[in-house]
Amino acid sequence: MDAIIPLLYIAVFPGFIFLGVYALLMQWVDRKLSAVMQNRVGPPIYQPLADFIKLISKEVVIPENADVILFKSLPYVAMASIITSIFMIPIWDGKALVSFEGDIMVVMYLLIIPTVTFFLAGWSSTSPYSTIGSMRVMTQLFGYEVPLFMSFAGCAILAGSWSISGIAAYFSANPWFILLNLPGFIAALLAAEGKLERVPFDTPHAKNELVGGQFTEYSGRLLAIFLLSIDMEMIVLAAFISAVFLGGLGSFTGLAGFILFIIKTFFVCFILILFKALMARVRVDQMLKFSWKWLVPVSALQILIDILLKVNI
Amino acid sequence: MSEETIKEEELVKNLKEKFGDAIENVIIPRKNRVWMDINQNIALDLMKYLKEHGYYHLSTITGFDEGEKLGAIYHITDHKTILNIKIRTSKENPVLKSVLSVYPVATSYERELFDLFGIKVEGLPEGRNYPLPEGFPEGVHPLRKEVKLDELNKMLNEKSVKED
Amino acid sequence: MSKMQIPLGPQHPALKEPENFMLVLDGEQIVDATVNLGYNHRGIEKAAENRNYIQDIYLIERVCGICSHSHVSCYIGAVEEIAKVEVPAIAKALRTIVAELERIHSHLLWLGVAAFELGYDTLFMYTWRDREQVLDCLELLSGNRVHYGMNTIGGVRRDITKEQVDEISKKIKYLKERTSYYVNVVTEEPTFLARTQNVGKLPKDVALELNAVGPTARASGVDIDVRRDEPYFIYDQLDWKVITYHTCDVFGRAVVRVLETIESYKMIEQILKAIPEGPISVKVPWKIPAGEAVFRYEAPRGEDIHYVKSNGTEYPERVKVRAPTLSNFQSLPYCLKQGYLADAVITIAAIDPCMSCTDRAVVYDINKGERKTFDQEELRKYSIEFYKKKGISFK
Repeated sequence: MDAIIPLLYIAVFPGFIFLGVYALLMQWVDRKLSAVMQNRVGPPIYQPLADFIKLISKEVVIPENADVILFKSLPYVAMASIITSIFMIPIWDGKALVSFEGDIMVVMYLLIIPTVTFFLAGWSSTSPYSTIGSMRVMTQLFGYEVPLFMSFAGCAILAGSWSISGIAAYFSANPWFILLNLPGFIAALLAAEGKLERVPFDTPHAKNELVGGQFTEYSGRLLAIFLLSIDMEMIVLAAFISAVFLGGLGSFTGLAGFILFIIKTFFVCFILILFKALMARVRVDQMLKFSWKWLVPVSALQILIDILLKVNI
Repeated sequence: MSEETIKEEELVKNLKEKFGDAIENVIIPRKNRVWMDINQNIALDLMKYLKEHGYYHLSTITGFDEGEKLGAIYHITDHKTILNIKIRTSKENPVLKSVLSVYPVATSYERELFDLFGIKVEGLPEGRNYPLPEGFPEGVHPLRKEVKLDELNKMLNEKSVKED
Repeated sequence: MSKMQIPLGPQHPALKEPENFMLVLDGEQIVDATVNLGYNHRGIEKAAENRNYIQDIYLIERVCGICSHSHVSCYIGAVEEIAKVEVPAIAKALRTIVAELERIHSHLLWLGVAAFELGYDTLFMYTWRDREQVLDCLELLSGNRVHYGMNTIGGVRRDITKEQVDEISKKIKYLKERTSYYVNVVTEEPTFLARTQNVGKLPKDVALELNAVGPTARASGVDIDVRRDEPYFIYDQLDWKVITYHTCDVFGRAVVRVLETIESYKMIEQILKAIPEGPISVKVPWKIPAGEAVFRYEAPRGEDIHYVKSNGTEYPERVKVRAPTLSNFQSLPYCLKQGYLADAVITIAAIDPCMSCTDRAVVYDINKGERKTFDQEELRKYSIEFYKKKGISFK
């Protein structure tokens, strides 16, 4: 019996199945909302699932020059690291399933792994489009990772804790500090847009230039897993941001806590969708310039504010 | 009529003074249109002269097949007046000089002359077919009058059947 | 990193028609670019020689789907010049209305395509939705949405009614409002500006040397427009101005196109206020007297030029079509070099390339050959059977 419960955690809730269903649902919300904003009808609710099933049933084609083992294993690595990170984020309780001092760092690192797999995916495919795509993945990584990390660090300093649950508890105890962290929140959202490779920072797989970017050579099941893990990453990142910046679940537990979790992640995702609908894609050099000129100073300022607050309290 | 076409007549007069008998059959049908036949030898000099005098735009080159002769019409304009300069060449050995040195934009127009009419253009760098597709039967220049549409269709269909 | 050659096309998501660009990249920067054309040769010029003048109208109309009226008007202009036909005033006015509606439709379409190439899907959807209004106008006027079939030698084929005038005026009013909004988007939206300003630079002297035409040239400050330089139809009686811009980049090309649509609305409103009376066409004999003529026409993409030679029979001796895109392609390698790969697609899109116009002209009619192919009716039957098996029936 003891062995089954962790397995259920991994496979069903909050692991693969819950995350997968929520990710597909959020993909539908994304597509439907963008459609409404763009004056279109948009897809029916089962469309993302239908797309997923269709992709899974397609043939997998592997390029001749590719490293087969690497090529095949990368999507699973990406998905595994994303599912792992959800265990450290509070979902139905103030405290996450796994929680320790420093888990915020672990999640940050776990969330870099998918990006690295995207890079390796493009690089191991050896086609020109995917090579350029993976180069852009790496270039972009240097743009968003620093401000994302710094804005999280600001909250951690203020809360005096390096555990996600600890930070969430601190902010739900002192809700007014959420407003003081607004600049960091906005910087984190924009950096997240870069991490998720969504418009306006979707240069790595800009279809007009690079066809499918780093995923050009991927097909069938492998591509399906990759696409699903990107959707999952959006949920995890939204949950992460809402836990750190928006005070987590507070004193709610059980179903009420879970509903609050859904509301908060939904809110963060909604802002991400808004960004996507409002903007054009920028060039990769413009993205770097933007993040070092604006995002990094803003998040540095956030750290400064938090340190000053901490000293004065 | 003459009131309207002063500019054109002036231009033709200047050209005649400079190039003499090499210019023939000048027609000014209306404002902004000048037609003339010229000898191939003066083509480049004439175009250089025109370019210096504001006729910087080579609109296109139209090939034509008159039965005994092949030729090309160079439509040169300053965006008001179009000069249509005809140069003829023999059908047995059709050769024209490239005008790339004066009008660098002529590449695709000159390739068209070769592909569609079989007029060799001296001084045109090697390149892909344009506009005919790769693997089009060699030596067939579809816009020549002796190439009949039915025969062309038959030939191309046989070819594509063979390739399958 | 070593230099890398990357093909753009003939099949590529950014290109709607087959053309090929070989880009040599050094990292993200383009160091060399070559343009390869000719994937789409249809033999229209040869086909035109084997049809009579009236049949050719419908053939030439199919040179291009977007500027169909441009090509056919240009061809008809040349034929009418040879035959010395005086076209009735109302026909000229109607041709002008269709021409300007076509320009609006083409420019709005372009704005959508450009937005799509920039990954700006919202603007893409918005402009294409509004483009429907123009297509509705064209359908109302001519009965067709793409190939209008409005022109004939000696005039037009359909008259305009009072109701149509009212309906079109209403739609133009709506479009005017929408377009002024797009002017704001194009000139103010920061990501759009970031992606278009200083991209695909084409200085004025280079534009002149490389024979750029249309909005591409006008955005480089070259003040040319056939509608003013050599007025055809009734452009000389209308109050409008040629839009030029001085930035020489993709942004300038976008501004020129959007402002040109506003000029087109102005023109259409003027014409609709005073449509001449009278018969819509004059009779022209089937046999056109011998002669030759060149006609220029300002298509949405630039100067379109047709050469027609007649030998006194009902079949033309030679028809030559030079689409504006072919002229603009000459300047494209210049614009692409030293730019970034990310800018390549928008730079290509900025000249509004239309390959079906450019490559037009050898007949490759497989249906007539010995090969087993479907004719239309068989294909229709086949498709119905195919879907019936899947349980979908339209009856």
